[in-house]
Amino acid sequence: MTGGTASAGVLGRGPLFWGGLMLASYLVVAALGTTGAVEGAPLYILVILPFALVLPMITAANRRSDARSGGCGAKGEAQRRYMKRVAVFTFLYLVVLGIMTFAVKQGDVHPVLRTFLALLPGLAVVGIFWSVGRLIVEEQDEFLRMLVIRQSLIATGFAMCAASVWGFLESADVVQHLDAYYWAVAWFFGLGIGAVANRLRYGTWGAI
Amino acid sequence: MNNRLKVLRAERDWSQQDLADRLGVSRQSVNAIEKGRYDPSLPLAFTIAELFGLPIEAIFSRD
Repeated sequence: MTGGTASAGVLGRGPLFWGGLMLASYLVVAALGTTGAVEGAPLYILVILPFALVLPMITAANRRSDARSGGCGAKGEAQRRYMKRVAVFTFLYLVVLGIMTFAVKQGDVHPVLRTFLALLPGLAVVGIFWSVGRLIVEEQDEFLRMLVIRQSLIATGFAMCAASVWGFLESADVVQHLDAYYWAVAWFFGLGIGAVANRLRYGTWGAI
Repeated sequence: MNNRLKVLRAERDWSQQDLADRLGVSRQSVNAIEKGRYDPSLPLAFTIAELFGLPIEAIFSRD
């Protein structure tokens, strides 16, 4: 791909355009929700749809990164695939979470269907974990791969420590009950701690 | 480990990105190796040595 084509982004627009469009869409949706113009399932669908704009935004950002470096040393293929996978699984997560929430609210859902629907959001989160694993497998740059592994280990340590401490506090009725999926949230938060640790130790935030 | 990567690169008037492209790694990798924050694997050390046409011990040394 030539630099000229690459700098064109997606449909001739850069990442800021797509990010701005997504932000503007969410502001409109928020206004519709706040005023009560749209409610229920249609509102939830409107909340989900703008997130799809993250895909052209990522693509445009990657192309701009390529153009600036002349096609060399830009974000690696493994990182591009990782970002696309995470965007897809996050989008799927929002969709199936919405479907599950509305189905459960109906109250008269067959237990088998209820189980199936309840599995979907968790599987979407599993997809994000899988994306991190694939990044570690596919990353060809040993330094960046080491940073991702280090970041993941710090995140795992943080989430497991938090789960262990909270679990016993919960058993002693000191703290309130937390649904188990919050430990996945803690793990993702731990990735942020890992990125800071990478920055302090190696001078770079890492690849994720 | 200490290394002479920055000096060797400067002698050839290469930027970190130039060296990274020649090695097939990221610029962050070159930066981390140059600053002694990261010790490269043996295969990468051999690649660096081959690129500069020097033995590994002429580029890397113990602290």
